[in-house]
Amino acid sequence: MEVTLKIRRSPDGASHTTETYTVEVPETATLLDALDAVKDKRDGTLAYRKSCRMAVCGSCGMRMDGGAVLACKTAMKPLVEAGHVPTISPMGNLPVIKDLVVDMEPFWAKIRAVKPFLQTEAHPAKEHLVEAQVQQANIGKEALCIMCGCCVSECNSMESDPDFLGPAALAKAQRFVGDQREDDVARRSRLKDLNGAHGIWDCTRCYFCNQRCPKGVDPRDAIAKLGAQTFRFGSGSEFGAKTNMFAPVGTVVEPGVAHAQVFVDSTRRGGFLDETQLVPKTIGPLAAALDVPFALRLARAGKVPNPLHKHKAKNNDEVKRLWKLLEAQAREQQGLGTNHPSLIDSHD
Amino acid sequence: MLRHDVVVVGAGLAGMRAAIEAKRAGADVAIISKLHPTRSHSGSAEGGINAALGNASEDSPEIHTFDTVKGSDYLGDQDAIEIMCTEAPGDIYELEHMGAVFSRFADGRIAQRPFGAAGSPRTVYSADITGHVLIHVLYEQLLKYEVPVYEEFFALDLALDGGRCVGVLAWDIVSGGVHGISAHNTILATGGVGRMYYGTTNAYACTGDGMSMAWRAGVPLKDMEFMQFHPTTLKSNGVLITEGCRGEGAYLRNSNGDRFMAIAAPNAMELASRDVVSRAETKEIEEGRGVDGCVLLDLTHLGAKKILTRLPGSRELAMDYAGVDPILEPIPVRPGAHYHMGGVDTDSDGQTLLPGLYAAGECACVSVHGANRLGGNSLMETITFGRRSGAHAGAEALANRNGALVAASAVRDADSRIRAIFGRAGGQRPWQVREELATSMYDDAGVFRNQERLERCLTAVGDLRERGRDVVVDDTGDRFNTDLVSVLELESMLEMADCLVTGALARQESRGAHTRLDHPERDDERWMKHTLAWYDGGKVRLDYKPVTVTRFEPMVRSY
Repeated sequence: MEVTLKIRRSPDGASHTTETYTVEVPETATLLDALDAVKDKRDGTLAYRKSCRMAVCGSCGMRMDGGAVLACKTAMKPLVEAGHVPTISPMGNLPVIKDLVVDMEPFWAKIRAVKPFLQTEAHPAKEHLVEAQVQQANIGKEALCIMCGCCVSECNSMESDPDFLGPAALAKAQRFVGDQREDDVARRSRLKDLNGAHGIWDCTRCYFCNQRCPKGVDPRDAIAKLGAQTFRFGSGSEFGAKTNMFAPVGTVVEPGVAHAQVFVDSTRRGGFLDETQLVPKTIGPLAAALDVPFALRLARAGKVPNPLHKHKAKNNDEVKRLWKLLEAQAREQQGLGTNHPSLIDSHD
Repeated sequence: MLRHDVVVVGAGLAGMRAAIEAKRAGADVAIISKLHPTRSHSGSAEGGINAALGNASEDSPEIHTFDTVKGSDYLGDQDAIEIMCTEAPGDIYELEHMGAVFSRFADGRIAQRPFGAAGSPRTVYSADITGHVLIHVLYEQLLKYEVPVYEEFFALDLALDGGRCVGVLAWDIVSGGVHGISAHNTILATGGVGRMYYGTTNAYACTGDGMSMAWRAGVPLKDMEFMQFHPTTLKSNGVLITEGCRGEGAYLRNSNGDRFMAIAAPNAMELASRDVVSRAETKEIEEGRGVDGCVLLDLTHLGAKKILTRLPGSRELAMDYAGVDPILEPIPVRPGAHYHMGGVDTDSDGQTLLPGLYAAGECACVSVHGANRLGGNSLMETITFGRRSGAHAGAEALANRNGALVAASAVRDADSRIRAIFGRAGGQRPWQVREELATSMYDDAGVFRNQERLERCLTAVGDLRERGRDVVVDDTGDRFNTDLVSVLELESMLEMADCLVTGALARQESRGAHTRLDHPERDDERWMKHTLAWYDGGKVRLDYKPVTVTRFEPMVRSY
C-alpha cells in the first residue's frame, strides 16, 4: 500500500520545516516501517531512533498528529484506509536534537532523582526471599514501564513547570514505594522527598499520561498511590501538613499534603469544600495574610465565596455514609492494590 | 582523552552485569554503548532464565548441566557449562535482591516453568517479559553504583599497542567526532548479529559490531556456523513468540491440524530442543503442509485466563504484528534467526587470546551452548559470565594497570576512515546491500544447508563485501547521523556473514543448529571440535580446537 507522511524536519534541532513523503510499504507496516522506507528510498538524512521494533525497548517515541506514540506499535493500514495523512513530529517537553530525535537527558535526570533502585539493607544475605504474589501486585503495572517518554511528552504540568518530576519518574518511584521488599525507613524517606517541590502534588490530574502510555503503566494512578501512601505514613507530622501552620513567613514548605487534607477535613465535616479555609490551612495563616490583597482583587471580580455562607450539605448523613464506605474500601485495598495481572500470576 | 581501568562495550544484560562487578571489585569502570542501556536487545527476551532452584520439582545443577551438554549436541565445553549451572541459583537470588520482579508460586517462592529440552521445570520468569524486567533491574543497579555510560557512542575498532588491547575508538553519534577511550581491560558485550538474516527475532541494533572488531584485531571467533533458528517467530516482522507458550502447553499444528511434532519428537513433542522443532516446521512448510509459509501455534485450548496472566505480552505481539488474538485463533509462525551460539572465543572468565580484551554474553563463545542453545540459558549466561568477566577484568586491572593509552594517531586514522565514507560517490545505498545479504543468508544458510546452497551463499557474500566497501551515505553531517551508523553496521554484518558461511561450508556433518542435508549425521570422529575463524588479510582462515569433555561422553541425542 502507499503511505504518505508529513514529517517535521529539523536538521539542527532549532529551525524546522515540514516535508511530505510518499512510500510503498506492506499492508502490515507500522509507522516505523514507513519511516524506514522514507529513510532508505527517499532521504537518508532523516533521523529517528529505533531498535527492537516490538514495543519493548522504548526508542521510537514520537508524536503523530500531536500526540505521543511508539512508531513501532502504530499500524499504518487504518490511516491509509481512512485517507489520512498523519503529521510526524518529535516528542514534546524535551529538547530536539535533530528531526524526530529528542535529548532524553532531562528525562533520565528525573529518573535518577527518585533513587531508582530497591533499598533492602534489611535483607542483605543472598538467600531466597519468600514474597507473597499478592504483594507484587502493587508494582505490577509500574514494572511494565519501558521509559519511552510518551507520558512525559504529553504532560501538562511539565509544560508549565519543566522541573516537575513528571509521570515516568513518579511511576518509577511508586515501583519502589510499593515494593514490600523495600525497607520502611527508605520508603518513608522517599515519600518525604516526593512530597517536596515539583513532586506528586504538582500533577494536575489531566490523565494525558495514562491515555498516551503505550504499555498500560497508568502513571497518574501511580501518582495517586504515592499520595495515598503519604497519608498512610502520617501526613500530619512528617510531610508538612501541620508544620505549615507555624512555618515562618518566606520559608519553603510544601503545601501539597495540607491542601489535600483540607479537602478531606472539610468534606468530612460538612459535605462541601469550605473554600474560605483552603488557602489559610494550606499555606498557613501568616503566609495567607500576605495574600489578602490578592483575595481582595478576587472578591472585586466576584470570585470569592461568601464567607458567611454555611458550608454544609443538606443531607450530610449520606456524605458520612460515603466516607465510611471509602474508608472500608481503603482498608481492604491497603497493600493490595487492584492491578494489572501480568507479573503477578500464581500457579494453580 | 577519556580513560578508565575497565571499559565495557555494550550495555545489555552481560555488559551491565560486567560493569557492576568490575565496580564492586574497586575498578574505575565505564560503559560505551550505541544505545541507551535499556534500549538493548536483552530487554526483548521473553520466556525466562534457567537455574536449578528446584522450586517446581526436584532439580539440581548436575541435571541442568547434563541437559545443557546434551542440548549443545556435545559441542559445549563441559567445564564452562558446569560453572554456569552451579552458579546460576546464586545469581538468581542476587537478581531478586537487586529488585527483580519474578513471577511467584502461591506460597511466595519464585515460580519456574517448563522449557524445551529441560529435565525439570527450571525456567524462572516474569510473565513473558523476563528480559524487560531484568534489563531495568540492572540499569537501576548501574545508577546505584554510579557507573558512567557514554551513551550513543558507536565503537569503531579496538585500539592495540604492543600486542595488547588498550581501549576502543568510538564515534559520538549525537555530536559527531571520534574519541579514543583508553582502558587497561576492555570487555565486549555487544550481542549478536541476527540482522544478517531476513527473518530474525533480533532488534535492528544486532549487527555483530563487537565480534567484527575483535576479528579484525586478530582474535579468533569460535563456532560461527551455529546460528539458532527459533521455531516460533512472526512472518510479518520476525518478532519472537516465546517458547513459554509451548511451556504453558501450546500445540504446533500443520495445515491439516495435525500435531506434527509427534513424528520428530514423540516424547518431548512441542518441547523438544529448538533445532529439532525448527527442522520439523521447515519440513512441514517445504512439503506443502504449511499455511502461507508458516505453521500454526495453537494456544486456544489454554483458555483466556492462562493466556492473560502468563502470556499477556505474547498476546499483545500477536495482535499488533499478526492481527491475531491467540485466545480465539492460532498464531502463524515460522523459524527465524534468533541467537548466535558462536562468538568471540573466551575462557570461563571471559578472557580472549588478546591480552586486555574480554567478551561476555551473546557476542562471546565460552562455549556453554555448543551447537544449539537451550531456551532460558542465554539470559543465565549473560548474568553468570557477565559477572565473572567483570570480576576478573576489574581485579586484573587493579593489580596490573600500567597507564597505556590509545594513540592519538589511532584516533586520527579512525576519523579519516569516517570522512572517507562521507566522501564516497557512485556506490549503492546501504539498504540495497543489506537486503540482498539478508535474503541470501535466509535462503542458503538457514535451517537446512548443503554444499550447493552454501557455495552460492559464500559467492554472494564475497560479492556483497566488495559492494559494501562502496556504499554511500545521503547524510554527511556530524549530528545524529544514523545513515553513517547503518554503513558501519553493514560492514560488521558482511564480515560476520563471511565467517559464518565459511565455517558452515567446511563443517561436513549435522550437529545442533547446523544441518547439512548432504551430511545428515553427526560425526564425532571428525567434527567434535570447535571451529576458529581468524582474520587473514581481510579473508577468513579456519582452524579448530578440541571440545572440553569432563563427565558426559557423547550419546545419541533424541527427544
